[in-house]
Amino acid sequence: MIVCVAVVGHQNNPLYIQSFTEADDALKLHHIVHCSLDVVDERVNNPKRSGPTLNETFLGLLYPTENYKVYGYLTNTKVKFILVTTDLDVRDADVRNFFRRFHSAYVDAVSNPFHVPGKKITSRTFAERVSGIVKSFGLSSAG
Amino acid sequence: MVREVAESCVESLLTEIVSQYCNGFYANKPDLAARRIEAIGYQVGHQLSERYTMERPRFSDHLEAIKFICKDFWSELFKKQIDNLKTNHRGTFVLQDNKFRWLSRVSVAPSSENTGSIQDPSAMAESKEAQATGMYLYFPCGIIRGALSNLGIPCAVSADISNLPACSFVIRIKA
Repeated sequence: MIVCVAVVGHQNNPLYIQSFTEADDALKLHHIVHCSLDVVDERVNNPKRSGPTLNETFLGLLYPTENYKVYGYLTNTKVKFILVTTDLDVRDADVRNFFRRFHSAYVDAVSNPFHVPGKKITSRTFAERVSGIVKSFGLSSAG
Repeated sequence: MVREVAESCVESLLTEIVSQYCNGFYANKPDLAARRIEAIGYQVGHQLSERYTMERPRFSDHLEAIKFICKDFWSELFKKQIDNLKTNHRGTFVLQDNKFRWLSRVSVAPSSENTGSIQDPSAMAESKEAQATGMYLYFPCGIIRGALSNLGIPCAVSADISNLPACSFVIRIKA
């Protein structure tokens, strides 16, 4: 189950952060997202593992904690997408698929002429679309 | 050449934006009108670059980003690529389009009838025409600048129209 997703701007400013848990642990999840930004920076600035994965938008598993797995995605425009999940055996393809759909939702949201670049995304349509993507995560039917 | 409705709509819109800003809002301040039109282009380029860079690996240097503008970005906008790219390898790039779509219906009349009779006014008219044509280029300049800034490359873009309908865009990357 996905417990938290976030969009972070190129200056590490939060653009959208949403947790999907019943419990009151939003702060903890925000903290995890915050920590993951350092890992993203490290991955991008020290590309030790060169090869085909170099400069790919999908950054893979950023770091596992006891209860969570954190995945990252960095666009060409230096916008970061973070995914926190409680599932322990996640298929890479599912995560890639999730980020691809999340990215296109984001692109549609920022293409709104009333959206101010660099400001938080307040669009309700975007929020609904994201929760739809989150709900369908991992289902085999998800195209 | 097949022309589609949407394409004609965009051209009409651009014509109308320019005329509205130059003759309506800022009738006596061409500089201000130019800035406003450029800003509209900037926002458009900013948003388009986000869309068109989806599903592609991140650019490792400036040249790659400029190449993206020349090839894929230009193809999406104008259904053709930039014809010639020059660079001095110190942050200046010249993108030449031999038949720039948004200028293909602009004609700067070679005022051959007037030449000889009165020299000065015709020269003045010509520069006026060039100036009027130049107003149409602030929008594409803004698009390029918006796209590049969104890709993390702050720059200044200007355009040059010495022989229509060819047009070159000069990109100066800010260090």
